Amino acid sequence: MKKSITPWLIVLSAPAILFACMLFGPSGYGLPGTDSGAFILRLNRVIAGFVVGAALACAGVVLQALLRNPLAEPYVLGVSSGAGLGAALAILTGLTAITAFALPLSAFIMAIATLALVCALARQGGRTSVYALVISGVIVSAVFSSLLMFLTSRAKEHELHTIIWWMLGNMGVNSVGVLRACSLIILLGIPLAWILARDLNALTLGKEMAHHLGVRTDIVVTLGLVVATLISAAAVSMTGLIGFVGLIVPHVMRKLVGPDHRRLIPLAAIGGGLFLAVCDAIARTIIKPEIIPVGVMTALVGGPFFIAILRARRKQGWIE
Amino acid sequence: MKTAIEFKNVSCGYHSTTVLDNINFQINEGEMIAVLGPNGAGKTTLFKALTGLLRPTTGIINIFSNPPHTLSAQKRSALIAVVPQELETPMAFNVEEIVMLGRTASLSRWATPNREDHRIVERCMVYTDIADLRDRPLSELSGGEKQRAIVAMALAQEPKIILLDEATSHLDMNHRFEVMQIAKRLNSEEGVTVLMCSHDLNLAAEFCDRFLLLDHGRVVANGSSSDVLTERILSDVYHCDVRVQQHVGSGSVTISPAHRLTPTRAGQGIRVHLVAGGGSGEELMRRLILAGYEVSCGVLNNGDSDTEIAHALGVKTTLEAPFSPISNEALQRSLEAASSADVIIVCDVPFGPGNVANLKIAEHAGRQKKPVLIAGSIEKRDYTHNKAASAISTKLLAAGARTWHGIPEVMKQLPQSK
Repeated sequence: MKKSITPWLIVLSAPAILFACMLFGPSGYGLPGTDSGAFILRLNRVIAGFVVGAALACAGVVLQALLRNPLAEPYVLGVSSGAGLGAALAILTGLTAITAFALPLSAFIMAIATLALVCALARQGGRTSVYALVISGVIVSAVFSSLLMFLTSRAKEHELHTIIWWMLGNMGVNSVGVLRACSLIILLGIPLAWILARDLNALTLGKEMAHHLGVRTDIVVTLGLVVATLISAAAVSMTGLIGFVGLIVPHVMRKLVGPDHRRLIPLAAIGGGLFLAVCDAIARTIIKPEIIPVGVMTALVGGPFFIAILRARRKQGWIE
Repeated sequence: MKTAIEFKNVSCGYHSTTVLDNINFQINEGEMIAVLGPNGAGKTTLFKALTGLLRPTTGIINIFSNPPHTLSAQKRSALIAVVPQELETPMAFNVEEIVMLGRTASLSRWATPNREDHRIVERCMVYTDIADLRDRPLSELSGGEKQRAIVAMALAQEPKIILLDEATSHLDMNHRFEVMQIAKRLNSEEGVTVLMCSHDLNLAAEFCDRFLLLDHGRVVANGSSSDVLTERILSDVYHCDVRVQQHVGSGSVTISPAHRLTPTRAGQGIRVHLVAGGGSGEELMRRLILAGYEVSCGVLNNGDSDTEIAHALGVKTTLEAPFSPISNEALQRSLEAASSADVIIVCDVPFGPGNVANLKIAEHAGRQKKPVLIAGSIEKRDYTHNKAASAISTKLLAAGARTWHGIPEVMKQLPQSK
């Protein structure tokens, strides 16, 4: 078996990269004193970036395998529009003023409700086909997006600002409780996805073949969808909609470490986490003291970088 | 010897359509069997039922005495492996990883493949001669190599039964042979039961000992090549003329579709009148029109499936009201239509008091010394009170009418234009 050093390189460089991210901030370069408020603020931001990036990349890996679709991403089953609607509702009803938990909780609940609705719509005669799932995901997303747009059009100016920032992705998590709760879901969800790794490998051959290979396909597909959606819902409700990570990081990591999900899931999680943490470090320093929404940065920074990797390693990865 | 597979009165289908209709057969451990039949005969459904993808609506399926849906996924995969026609993965798994997927069910979730797993994978790759390809991505392999890798994956399950589901249809004849030889070796050396379905009758005849012929979801024939691969049975099931030849040297059987005995447009200018009903004339009408014959049909009841086909094909038809006995008036019209016909064909339609009048058309033609061709024996499908239809049939046959079995045969008996 071919041994590659790439996985080790990624794992070993992770702490160094995360530490480097600590050195950047709108308040200046260098590590703030450990007892200062800036230190805690920055630490939370780096942790949030890492955890959210890990969740999105991992969810992307799982969904691309389950749906056998290179265009699948964490939001394909309507999580983003559901969570968006939940967030907007929380903002417009004024619940956000009561507790910091209101927005993430509302977004999370709506995201899960959306998944349930999509699955229910896709279910036919006791069976669910992946195509039906994707299509009902698209339909539900479209409907919820329209509702979200309607709500946005009725919003007052300061509410509008909050909604838009949320939709662009905002790493500034102002409640440690929210950070803890969402991180807990994600840190439990990723190992759960990893347990399914072998089944995911088999499922890339199609549901029927996986069945022949002894995979309990119905359970694995359902569990995989639920886990992927749970962790992306947790990520989204914490920091808003961040695109690109969940779609592209899985592809890049597959090129770097191969398609075996037992390796791919943990490494995509680390890779996605590092990527988002770095993007946020750039976003909060590039025009300081202003902070750019991190969702703007991901594609701007990641696009060229990942195209270079994909082109250089054309031989491996997703089929040509 | 143990029974590997058993179907007891199995009916099976999708939603409301029944595809398998009361199937019964048994396969012993160590047999190599071909499941044959035309498209839509139910081969795929049979395989789906066998692998537990589909539950029978009635009846019992047993795999080594266990119904497939009661088996755990792990146990099922240790009993049955499937080699499909084609396998694609969007991911760039290499050959060794693909073969290792055959171990999916036997590996614990936590463990990495141990030495035993690697040994099995190695052995399967050697067996199928793909060890040199281990680092190549599956998607880059040629069709033959790819199929051997899939066979290796199936072998890595260490199954007792292997299903080859059209596993060689995409391959050229050399690779087809190669894959089949691997299966044969497995069968004779390791005692693996092999069940293949294929449209390549010659390949099946070459490698299998027993044949299960399906048609319209029923088992039409089940036995050795001399029981199943006969011209009569095959031409009936495949609706075309079939030649079966035994190779003098090897004793193997070669099956080839003979050219339709009626060359295209052989029937131009010749008029044929059909006595049909209940779908007995559908296929024949189609064939006659294709061959250029001018076809009329009657008397048919409106709403009959033959009536619909006749309309679709533009066949001149004399009609009677739905489910009504043939009236004198309709019969007269039909006699008129038939009077210009050169040949009268009586299809395999049952006769009762309602439609026995149709045989008058044949009688009339017989008196005019026109050829009359009667399907099978009318006695067997005569439901008239006093066996009137049988009496007419006997009279017709005595006067020179001929009988026919199967469409190729009747087409042969028809006159042809020069």
